[in-house]
Amino acid sequence: MAEHDLTALMAAQLDRHLVFPLLEFLQEQQLYSEPEILEAKIRLLSGTNMVDYAMDIHKSLHGTDDVPEDMVKRRSEVVSRLRSLEEAAAPLVAFLQNPQLVQELRPDKQYNIHMLQERYQIGPDQIEALYQYAKFQFECGNYSGAADYLYQYRALCTNSERSVSALWGKLAAEILMQNWDVALEELNRLKEIIDSKNFSSPLNQLQNRIWLMHWALFIFFNHENGRNGIIDLFFQDRYLNAIQTNAHHLLRYLAAAVVVNKRRRNMLKELIKVIQQEQHSYKDPITEFLECLYVNYDFDGAQQKLMECEQVILNDPFLGKRIEEGNFVTVPLRDEFLENARLFIFETYCRIHRCIDISMLSQKLNMSYDEAELWIMNLVRSSKLDARIDSVSGTLIMTTNHVNVHEQIIESLKGLNMRTYMLAKEHRGASSSSSAGNSVRIAESTVLRRQGLV
Amino acid sequence: MDSSLSIVEAKEAAGTMASRFWGQGDSESEEEEEEVESEQGSDSDDDGGRGDAGRSSGGNRYLKNQEDDSDESDTGHRVIRSLRDKRNEEMRSIVDQMRNAMKINDWVSLQESFEKLNKHLEKVVRVNESTEVPKMYIKALVLLEDFLAEALANKEAKKKMSSSNAKALNAMKQKLKKNNKQYEEQIQKCRDHPESFEDEAADDKDMDDDDDDDADESDAEIEDPDKIAMSESEEERDEDDDDKEGWEQKRSKKDKLMDKQFLKDPSEITWDIVDKKLKEIVASRGKKGTGRIERVEQLTFLTRVAKTPAQKLEILFHVISAQFDVNPSLLGHMPVNVWKKCVNNMLLVLDILQQYPNIVVDTSFEPDEKETQKGADYNGTIHVVGELVAFLERLDSEFLKTLQCTDPYTKDYVQRLREEPLFLVVAQNVQDYLERVGNLKAAAKVALRRVELVYYKPQEVYDAMRKLAEQPEDSLDDDDAEAGDEHQAIDDNRGPSPFIVIPEVVPRKPTFPESGRTLMDGLMSLIYKYGDERTKARAMLCDIYHHAISDEFSVARDLLLMSHLQDGVQLMDISSQILFNRVMAQLGLCAFRAGLINEAHGCLTELYSTGRVKELLAQGVQQSRYHEKTPEQERLERRRQMPYHMHINLELLEATHLICAMLIEVPNMAASTYDKRRPMSRTFRRLLEVSERQTFVGPPENVRDHVMAATRALNKGDHQKAFSVINSLEIWKLLRNRDHVLEMLKLKIKEEALRTYLFSYSSCYESLSLNQLTTMFDLSEQHAHSIVSKMMMHEELHASWDQPTKCIVFHSVDQTRLQGLLFQMADKLSVLVESNERAYEARTGGTLEGVPPPRRRGEGQDSSNMGKWQENFVSSQGRQGGGNRFGYSGRGGGSGQSGGHQRDRGNQGSRGGYGGGSRFQDGRGRNQSGSSARGGDGGARMVNLNRVGRV
Repeated sequence: MAEHDLTALMAAQLDRHLVFPLLEFLQEQQLYSEPEILEAKIRLLSGTNMVDYAMDIHKSLHGTDDVPEDMVKRRSEVVSRLRSLEEAAAPLVAFLQNPQLVQELRPDKQYNIHMLQERYQIGPDQIEALYQYAKFQFECGNYSGAADYLYQYRALCTNSERSVSALWGKLAAEILMQNWDVALEELNRLKEIIDSKNFSSPLNQLQNRIWLMHWALFIFFNHENGRNGIIDLFFQDRYLNAIQTNAHHLLRYLAAAVVVNKRRRNMLKELIKVIQQEQHSYKDPITEFLECLYVNYDFDGAQQKLMECEQVILNDPFLGKRIEEGNFVTVPLRDEFLENARLFIFETYCRIHRCIDISMLSQKLNMSYDEAELWIMNLVRSSKLDARIDSVSGTLIMTTNHVNVHEQIIESLKGLNMRTYMLAKEHRGASSSSSAGNSVRIAESTVLRRQGLV
Repeated sequence: MDSSLSIVEAKEAAGTMASRFWGQGDSESEEEEEEVESEQGSDSDDDGGRGDAGRSSGGNRYLKNQEDDSDESDTGHRVIRSLRDKRNEEMRSIVDQMRNAMKINDWVSLQESFEKLNKHLEKVVRVNESTEVPKMYIKALVLLEDFLAEALANKEAKKKMSSSNAKALNAMKQKLKKNNKQYEEQIQKCRDHPESFEDEAADDKDMDDDDDDDADESDAEIEDPDKIAMSESEEERDEDDDDKEGWEQKRSKKDKLMDKQFLKDPSEITWDIVDKKLKEIVASRGKKGTGRIERVEQLTFLTRVAKTPAQKLEILFHVISAQFDVNPSLLGHMPVNVWKKCVNNMLLVLDILQQYPNIVVDTSFEPDEKETQKGADYNGTIHVVGELVAFLERLDSEFLKTLQCTDPYTKDYVQRLREEPLFLVVAQNVQDYLERVGNLKAAAKVALRRVELVYYKPQEVYDAMRKLAEQPEDSLDDDDAEAGDEHQAIDDNRGPSPFIVIPEVVPRKPTFPESGRTLMDGLMSLIYKYGDERTKARAMLCDIYHHAISDEFSVARDLLLMSHLQDGVQLMDISSQILFNRVMAQLGLCAFRAGLINEAHGCLTELYSTGRVKELLAQGVQQSRYHEKTPEQERLERRRQMPYHMHINLELLEATHLICAMLIEVPNMAASTYDKRRPMSRTFRRLLEVSERQTFVGPPENVRDHVMAATRALNKGDHQKAFSVINSLEIWKLLRNRDHVLEMLKLKIKEEALRTYLFSYSSCYESLSLNQLTTMFDLSEQHAHSIVSKMMMHEELHASWDQPTKCIVFHSVDQTRLQGLLFQMADKLSVLVESNERAYEARTGGTLEGVPPPRRRGEGQDSSNMGKWQENFVSSQGRQGGGNRFGYSGRGGGSGQSGGHQRDRGNQGSRGGYGGGSRFQDGRGRNQSGSSARGGDGGARMVNLNRVGRV
């Protein structure tokens, strides 16, 4: 199943720290060999300040207590740097930790800076140090601290570039702390900035959007309202364009979200159009499933793909999230996906058939005969399906209700009479008689008379 | 004249009589010829000597006859000897005459002498009893050729000639060309080893000296014998040199003087002298009496005596621009050899620039007088005025022009095409240089030029070019040995060795990466980064084109859509628009090869909607019957033409377009028998209508016939016949993956045949088994199922599957004709009501109370119907309004008008007799309307007059 693994593609667009959860997931799945993943983790950590963690991994990877020299050295470096940064930021941190003093701050940034400078001798240097300190904290893995500091930094900073990076940092920290509500807020804030800001080049903006979408995946597949959120965000023109230009693999998540989301069925058409356009550059079982079903009407193929989809979902860090309830481990998204997909197949199948053998259907739906019959019966009862079961021959007979042609014609002409009448009346009131209105009425009456003849 | 003629006849008669008398039938015709010839000679020549010759030839006749006949005459031996000598002598005298004529530039007499010479040749050959052509003759030819070339090149002098002289010159040019073809080998030999020819000539001279006396005497009347001797010796000396050089040196006396001036003592030549001379030559540009080629020669000479590299560079720039000046007209192209020399000069320039990095070429900097005096050892930058990119672009466009002017079916064209790597070398080196210098904007421009030479080459062609370029020089030179020799000759025998010797540092061979794609990518990234808007747009188009010919449709499509080139193409210059059209055509072909019929149709339909494909692709001029082009326009258009090797095969394109249209349109027509749904391809519909009106259908001949035949078959659901007709087209062999494409086409035809069949005959069935369909259309069960399902889903087919029996069950919901019409009527009525309401609103300014809001328009089929109806409405109004409409079409000019006319004509032609009545009425109606609108603009009146004439 490794060929459908997107981790490599995703990692390029994520922060180092955000890749950890993905690697953890892969470790659990055991798609790759254990040492390989540990190796990857160490490499990942080498760019961060989480040296202790890297040391632990190294120990478990090589089964020794020895730690390479450079790691030890790096550790001392990190510690000393932390000290110095702490010192530099100390005055401001002390100020911010005192709730009484914090209350003196007002919404007016200029005033705050002025006030800090006047009364506490906290200048731009200290504020800058706060940013560095927060960043360092983040790199050390102290996400909550980093998030706090960044929040406060944003209240004080005047540099808009810096403010945006602080926001990115905050978002990452919130995601890593799994504060989904806060993260979603930050996400929206960031999105607004990206959409409204003037970027030096369109390419830059595109890149920012792509980052945003990738980071948002964490939120959307964990937040309870995320499934609507992902559809809303990804289907926006600019973001859809970004996906089509440079991040085709995101189609998988979009497709999965659309399939799962019952209320957003209307997006299906658009999604399929996009999938078809991009089929040369990206395909995986999920998109292929939709293509089989809605483009080729190849039900066997769809069935086949659905099986593959299950594997893909289970092995995907975002889609295959597990929830443990007591002794059971369930993957809620998989269940929903399969259920909905089955419904899709069935629905489409019914639309173009008049008579279906239930045993065949049960096979297609991966159910036993009785199960299938029950399932269908429920659908019929809840008037989702306009059909009857012929239990003697074991078939399902669809009732076709085509609107009578006559009715259609009458329907289309119904309004005209009234409208013409009104028009004529108004007109007559205004001036002489309206010949046009009359002629229409005459024409109409002849039509109706003719219908009688037909 | 009469009398002379009668004399000829009489003589002829006498001759024949005589021969008959002699009983020698076979020599008859020869004699006749001779007689006539000698007669003519004496007629036209008022020269004293000629009379003599005529007499002698007359005598010869008898002599020869005697010899031919038999040896019965006892004086035979003596006669033969004299005959031979005499012939040779005569020939020599003719050659002498020619020389004289050359000296005074008298082409009329030259032409005469030439003709005489040719006629004489025959005799001489016969007398000499060998098949070999006398060397003297060859020499004369060489002489003539050179003189002719000189005269042709010297345009100034040509202009000054009298009309008769000029005419003679032109006649001479053609005759000589034709004549020299048969002696090509010998001429070549003569050029290679003039001394061997010289020997004989000298021998002849010695031998002739004594008995030439009388001949010389006759010449003496015209010129002093000493003078002749001098001129002859001079010529001989010249012939020792390379011939070409010979005449050039001789001609430009001024040049010779200059030679002397500089030859005196190399050490005496100073920078100032050279600079002064250069200024003088440069100033002479455009003045009367300075030959263009002459200037080039002089400047080239100056490059050898230049004292500093910078000066050499400066002079070289002047040489190059002088070379561009050689061809003054905008239409003609630069002579090929000049072009080649120009390329060499460019390389030289680059050599210098590479060797002396402190020399900077720019236009912005104003150099001081003595800038180029700074020697090679000068530290610091030396500025030289010049524009490398402009030179390069000019070089490229000249190359293109030669290709445009050359007939693509000749060897010349291929030859010329083989010189493309030469240009690529220069371009590559210039680009390298510019990149090194840091002038990346200019480098991007050069890169574009390179891209434009590569983009249309598929990998195979690219490989061929690469191989050609990487061949060792010798094998390349084999073909143009002449040209190569010329270069050598020039380099070797020209004056002193140059003062500044520049080693060849710049590579003389282009280097190509393995695949065209890599080359393109490299150049592209440079252009995208640094190019200006136009360069970028053109490069992008080239890139798309290249992707399309490498069968990467999706990449090409994405590039096109993302770049938004389509939006701005109307604002671009014409050559870019042509490029865009070419891209669209290629994209269509690519989509077709990939089996994307709809996309292919979308790409191509616009090209074919006007019927001016040739013009749009710049692949030939299309004559339009109704729209005369001014000569100016025509010339412009001719200049835009694509060279032949870049053409897109029009037949293939047309076939692709029509087949796509067929695959889309046939099911579409079958689906909409009642309501005339909007046709997907109007062009195709029109063609179909025309072909359906034909009384007799012959076997298909051209592409269009083939597709029409296939369409007829497909209409009946006969997919086999449709495919075999299409398959019989010749053009498929042009495709690389032919089998694959044909396989795809077969499948598509089957699919569409199935769809057409279902559309047409579904009303006749209650049910239809899948099995039967698969056997009928030779499709796999799954595939057929998928197609039918799709039709059901899209509600094109009112039916559903019966799963247990695998049958299609049809619902009889198809409308009858009456019902269909009723629907249309209902739609139209609602439109009418709506427009009534709107009219009312517009008048009263308020909305009607109690009236439901107007129905929303635009629901699928509905809207199209409405649109169509409105169209009718508008057009009927137009008919009532009359003149207005014609006025529009008349003013619309060009394409629109001609299109309309053609259609009318088509109708008229094919409808034949019985349609006459309605046409007449139609015509009358229009006439009336026309008269009511009298006083409109000219266009309207003109059109109406036409109509009157035709009805």
